[in-house]
Amino acid sequence: MNDRNANPAQARGTPDSTQETVIETDSLTRKFKKIKAVDNLDLRISHNELFGLVGPDGAGKTTLLRLLAGLLKITSGSAHVAGHDLTERPEAVKPKIGYMAQQFSLYAQLTVMENLNFFADLYAVTLEERKERTERLLSFAGLTPYTERRAEHLSGGMKKKLALACTLIHDPPILLLDEPTTGVDPVSRREFWSILTDLHVRGRTIVVSTPYMDEADRCTRVGLMYEGRMIRCAPPDEIRSQVRGELIELIAEHWQAARAAVGELPGVLQVQTYGTTLHLIVDNAAERLPEVEAHLEEERIAYSRLRPTQLRMEEAFLSLVDQREQERWE
Amino acid sequence: MSLRNIRAITRKEIQYILRTRSTFILVLLAPLALLFIMAYALTVDIESVPIAILDQDGSEASREFTAQLTDPTELDLYATVASREDLEQMLLDGSIKAGVIVEEGFEQAVAQQMGMPVHIIIDGTEPQTGHFAIDEITTQILDFTADQLAQAGLPTHLLEPVDLRVEALYNPDLEPRIDIVPGLISIVLGMPALSVALALSHEREHGTLEQLLVTPVTKAELLTGKMIPYILVGLINVVVIPAVAIWAFDIPFRGNFVLFFLLSVIFLFAILGMGTIIGVLARTQPVALALSFLVIFFPGFFLTGIFFPLVSMPEIIRAEAELLPGTQYAIITRGIFLKGLGLEILWPQAAILAALGLAFTVVAALIFKKRLG
Ligand SMILES: Nc1ncnc2c1ncn2[C@@H]1O[C@H](COP(=O)(O)OP(=O)(O)O)[C@@H](O)[C@H]1O
Ligand SMILES: [Mg+2]
Repeated sequence: MNDRNANPAQARGTPDSTQETVIETDSLTRKFKKIKAVDNLDLRISHNELFGLVGPDGAGKTTLLRLLAGLLKITSGSAHVAGHDLTERPEAVKPKIGYMAQQFSLYAQLTVMENLNFFADLYAVTLEERKERTERLLSFAGLTPYTERRAEHLSGGMKKKLALACTLIHDPPILLLDEPTTGVDPVSRREFWSILTDLHVRGRTIVVSTPYMDEADRCTRVGLMYEGRMIRCAPPDEIRSQVRGELIELIAEHWQAARAAVGELPGVLQVQTYGTTLHLIVDNAAERLPEVEAHLEEERIAYSRLRPTQLRMEEAFLSLVDQREQERWE
Repeated sequence: MSLRNIRAITRKEIQYILRTRSTFILVLLAPLALLFIMAYALTVDIESVPIAILDQDGSEASREFTAQLTDPTELDLYATVASREDLEQMLLDGSIKAGVIVEEGFEQAVAQQMGMPVHIIIDGTEPQTGHFAIDEITTQILDFTADQLAQAGLPTHLLEPVDLRVEALYNPDLEPRIDIVPGLISIVLGMPALSVALALSHEREHGTLEQLLVTPVTKAELLTGKMIPYILVGLINVVVIPAVAIWAFDIPFRGNFVLFFLLSVIFLFAILGMGTIIGVLARTQPVALALSFLVIFFPGFFLTGIFFPLVSMPEIIRAEAELLPGTQYAIITRGIFLKGLGLEILWPQAAILAALGLAFTVVAALIFKKRLG
């Protein structure tokens, strides 16, 4: 997690002007019937970025990654990957990218080794390279003891790691990974991210989508997708700082009552609900905390916790979405 | 085209076939099972028909006649009834398939050589069984009449006015089995085509196609690599199925086996081309299955002349039927099995099959996009 700060330009997260752009889209749009799954997207990703694509289900993350992998036809606009125009020369892009689909998409009946060899064949990996690379990928994915096991008999986390290994078999400079950690246990998730960080340090450009906001913090730059659009595109710290206000956490058993009681208080910009936990975004936490406390006493609402806390990516994201919705109404 | 890529896809597909029990059964055992089921179901002879008799005359002569009627094993006396209502009830509940009413005045009519007042009622919902019953009953009536004439000292040759001599070549006893079983081979070999359609849609459904499409493999390599295993499986069937037809069903094989094998390869190419088009179009396996039945099996059954002669079809349907690989192949299988024909006669069929195969494969390659959508 720390090595993302190794390069100061990346730590700032702005696309480094000295670095070459490897992914570039111009008004990229993809429609499915009426829905614009990707809507007029302008995106520029430089060499060696670890770009996080964050957003709720249906935001358009998969569609964007599939477009970049040449799997879907572009409705309008254009996209260049590794210097090639995707509309004109999609096949030239294929050897340069490693794409990992959201759903498991390897051959269930083949063993771990057979899957790796199959993709090595299709990517024309030479025999010398293959031996060394297979060994390295297997150990790095922790699959060395399972080479003869059929993919269908692997656990969820191991399947994802095998898929990543197959994606890396031709050592592509660009990686497009669609929710690689969804449905994976927390330990495997952490392992997965340490692999990604390692790849990033070795100079790969990575675009990874995730529904988990905490994972966005591990990226050099984050794109917040919502309804096909990129509503923010900045380093994680910057995104957090773009949200107006500070956060107060309130845990109350009767959260509906608590929500109603504090929602209309002066200085409370927004209330987000996570089970019985309420997150109040306020203009000034130190000033508002006693006021909220007093009001809850007055209304006789019991609570187990009330304290100022750090704004997480999740609140930042929801707050930005909310802001956007409001802008639309106005 | 890279041979390495084709080989990789072919090898992967063979591993898939061998390791997936349902596919293994579908490609190697189902054709055999299908041949047995269809051959038995479609060619089994009717052995006996249950009938009931209503004797309204109740005379010596009528008793003699009804006794003779059920003498042969083809007509099986289920009951002797007292009224027409009883008879119809039995037809209705299916316990009999035909009823014979010997009308009043039977004895008198027979004695005066005035014909035989016999009434036959059949179950019209089963015309084949009904015809069989009518044939048998009529034969008995003729026999009975001949006996009566002989007893009266009258000549019986009038009952057979023409001395007809029919000779059936290639299938002297006109057994349906002999011509249907070679025809069935073309339906049975539709199985590999169904399998390739299912295999392609399986990849789409399970997302493996998504992973294949991001590799540099070309469309041609992918489709070729995918077809080869099913051609190989088809070839195993091309050897096994005729062997079973010859031994289990006693079908004569009068032609050249090498020629049969080669022409079968061309047929497999054509029918697998159809299967590949279906596999490219179908997004899911159920759709592929439904399309295969609609496009391969139903027409293969009804339009290829295996059961229903092409000459009985309207002109436009017939033109369409000629373009089905099964129609051409049915001519080939019957020609080689039963008539021992060679390429000098069968070359047009071979040429049409090759052209169809090429056309189908080109169409499949054209409509197959290296994209998900
Ligand atoms: N193949 C498709 N056909 C029709 N609609 C689709 C298809 N793929 C995605 N969509 C729609 O496009 C939108 C974006 O979906 P997706 O890219 O899968 O989002 P995400 O990956 O962020 O969950 C959704 O509304 C989804 O229903
Ligand atoms: Mg998705």
